[in-house]
Amino acid sequence: MPLPGPTPPTDEMLEDCLQAIHRLELQGQSASTAEVAAFARIPLEAAEEVLRELGRRGLLQIGSTNGTILNLEGRRQAVGILRRHRLSERLLADVLGLPWDRVHDEAMRLEHALTPEAEARLATLLKNPATCPHGAPIPENNGSVAPQATSGLDRIAAGARVQIQQIVEEEPTFLRYLASLGLLPRAEIHVEEIAPFGGPLLVRVGDATYAIGRDVAAKILVQQVGPPLEPQRLRRQRRHGWGQRSGRGTGRGRGD
Amino acid sequence: MSLSCHGAIRELHGEVEFTVAIAGNPNVGKSSIFNHLTGMGVVTANYPGKTVEVELAETHFGNRTIGVIDLPGTYALGGISEDQWVARQALLDGRPDAVILVLDATNLARNLYLGLQILDLGLPMVAALNVVDQAASRGIQVDIERLSEILGNPVIPTVATRGSGLDILMTQVIARATNPTLLAPRIRYSVDVEAAIAKLEAALSPHDGRPHQLSARAVAILLLEGDPEAGAWLAGVDSSGDLARLRDELFNLLRDVRGEEPPLLLARERHGLSGLIASEVERREVRRPLVVDRLWRLTTAPLTGLPILGLVLAGIFGFLFYVGDWLSVWFNNFWTTFASPAIRWPFHILFGDGIFSKTLLWGFDAGVNAALSVGIPYVLTFYVLLALLEDTGYLNAAAFLTDQIMHRMGLHGRAVIPLVAGAGCNVPAIMGTRVLSSMRERVIASTLVTLTPCSARTAVILGAVSLTVGWEAALGIYGVTFALALLTGIGMHRFLPGRSTGLVMEMFPFRRPAALPILKKTWYRFHHFAVVATPIVLGGSIILGGLYETGLLWKLAIPLRPIMEGWLGLPAVAGLTLIVAILRKELALQLLVTLAMVQHGPQASNLLSFMRPDQIVVYALVNTIYVPCAATIAVLARELGWPRALLISAFTIILALLVGGAARGVFALIGW
Repeated sequence: MPLPGPTPPTDEMLEDCLQAIHRLELQGQSASTAEVAAFARIPLEAAEEVLRELGRRGLLQIGSTNGTILNLEGRRQAVGILRRHRLSERLLADVLGLPWDRVHDEAMRLEHALTPEAEARLATLLKNPATCPHGAPIPENNGSVAPQATSGLDRIAAGARVQIQQIVEEEPTFLRYLASLGLLPRAEIHVEEIAPFGGPLLVRVGDATYAIGRDVAAKILVQQVGPPLEPQRLRRQRRHGWGQRSGRGTGRGRGD
Repeated sequence: MSLSCHGAIRELHGEVEFTVAIAGNPNVGKSSIFNHLTGMGVVTANYPGKTVEVELAETHFGNRTIGVIDLPGTYALGGISEDQWVARQALLDGRPDAVILVLDATNLARNLYLGLQILDLGLPMVAALNVVDQAASRGIQVDIERLSEILGNPVIPTVATRGSGLDILMTQVIARATNPTLLAPRIRYSVDVEAAIAKLEAALSPHDGRPHQLSARAVAILLLEGDPEAGAWLAGVDSSGDLARLRDELFNLLRDVRGEEPPLLLARERHGLSGLIASEVERREVRRPLVVDRLWRLTTAPLTGLPILGLVLAGIFGFLFYVGDWLSVWFNNFWTTFASPAIRWPFHILFGDGIFSKTLLWGFDAGVNAALSVGIPYVLTFYVLLALLEDTGYLNAAAFLTDQIMHRMGLHGRAVIPLVAGAGCNVPAIMGTRVLSSMRERVIASTLVTLTPCSARTAVILGAVSLTVGWEAALGIYGVTFALALLTGIGMHRFLPGRSTGLVMEMFPFRRPAALPILKKTWYRFHHFAVVATPIVLGGSIILGGLYETGLLWKLAIPLRPIMEGWLGLPAVAGLTLIVAILRKELALQLLVTLAMVQHGPQASNLLSFMRPDQIVVYALVNTIYVPCAATIAVLARELGWPRALLISAFTIILALLVGGAARGVFALIGW
């Protein structure tokens, strides 16, 4: 007999959704229910239920009209899950030797099972790794993330020359697709044009020119290596100034 | 017609002396070479569940029969996207005696990546260094001999659109295909990668029956790249697990030494090597950018891009209206003067003048006429324009500019291509949604295409509304339809599960279009349209003729009365023609006039004599929005499956009735 009303969300769903919101926030977006559902791979109705539950547990900012935003406690918990996820990926890749393109999916399960004690011992076993197998930083267990002197490609001014530092995407097929085009970490690209109204970017890699949508560009973290060739264009970029770090200088000291 | 790839390739092998495959990046002139080599007898084939097609053809060169396999244009071979998967699979299944690698001389470094993958597979190759003329005008000279020395395979400069260099290319291809000795390419990756490959290769060489009879080196590279097919083969032959352990060990070793996953590492090495080769064989003069290149940049520049896009779209519609209309009138005159009497005569002799004969003539005379008089003037014209936009590279500029608005509807810029095509005819536009990568995007784009007024619906809007009520009302109908499509797209993006994929698309420099490839492409598409549409229109017209000639049609109208008269406020006869128009949209208007004349006498040829302006607007609005036509439903079912096709159809019917009823209410309110 079907139960009356929706079934309460599991802890796994709650943690996955928390992580989804956190990840979208890191990309400078607020999370829509559909995006949260897509990330956590659950139906839309379930995601709605999860968001209500997260609100009841006091993890969301109250009164946000534009999508879902985490409050401090929510962010703390989300960073904790992120740490367990990336540590799990390291374990799966380095110790268990799981193929590279499966560690993310497996870690999505494993991350929920780790108790704080197991997490601490795992970190010791792995010699406190700084990054996950995909190159993303693992947060410290006090919740802080090592600062990165990079910014999303979507926040770069037209005319700038930048070097790709990292691609924040765990979908391996997508990474490989970008790689086949020559868009991989350490590749140098030249931002030629930015379409108006939040449209895509036109970038040049060698002799090839690609159009890259803003959402894809946000996942490509870059460091500026050359000044914009036409500085007057910078003015057009004002509205992308949110949280922008000047890529120049600050990143030079980072050795990896 | 689509054949299964395995079967079609096997059949081709049986008929020819040897086969060649043509591989290359998108838009480097691959299809120009294919078109030059082959005639009209091209067969398309696809793998089950895949929409990217492989083209197969037979050709003769000298006194030899050669099978040609045209792979989809891709940047790489692999399992990443559908085109890459199909290219890889057809290349391995096809086991060509030689591969023609088409290289873009203006972008050698990126193009060589695919070439290195083919060399890694150990396939004999002849490289066609294409568009050498464009490279020269940009100050790029390529040392052909040096390149051929490095690749260990012949390199032939070509300008495929003019056919220059293709004879030499084919002579080399035959020489390569008939000479079994494999030249050793001087391609080596960095020391640690080569060491890993060599270790794995040595362990693999005793094992026979490698997938697709590839060399041990090729399989070793595939394994390090995480290729699933090679992995499955390894799991099958390797009962002890020693090989898998070695593979994992080398995989992890490479990762630890280089700090990067081996699949990405190999991609990096290939890019690095491609760049090195290119810089060694290229001589570049620093030149001012060509005028054409600077002008071309205006198509994507923020200030000029959108106005140019507006001009191009207006140009397409203007061309379709004027040239299409002129062709349509001309064709109709031709048909009534010559074709129609010639068709009527044998039916008259064979079946007399009875209902049966008249019914058949509905199909074979009026039906065929209608299919062709929409098909030739509007669809064919549109395809020529579309091919022109594609071949110049402008469509990608349009995709770049419209990406943002498409994004709001869960699509990306590439969807602009089928949506523009939908204004000509929905059938090819829905086939064109294959450029999109996920089923979700294809469903959204196909729904939006069905809401795009095609040339037949435009004919009704212009013929019924613009002529009798005024052009403002006609424009209003377009406005309402556009707004509905936008809202539908936004709504579908919001409620359909899944998320949209981002845009990553190459932008091409301006290419001067050539007539032959455009005509071939146009013919190929028109042929597809005719195959889907003609039987449905013919059969439907005969059924409709039967209903009409027997008088059953009027009885069918009775159950529709509450909706047509009560809800939409249309005369019953108008409602009836809306149902009939499911065969072909422009038929609605023709039939409305015909039936009205039967009921009201000859003065009814003027719509205003029996319908008010508001009724005409509601009529045209409903006709524009509800299910496009039988041919569109058929192609929706073929591309997306019947459940989705029926859902989309039902959605548009409900939407049309809602909007029609609402429009009637609004008109009543404002006392129009």
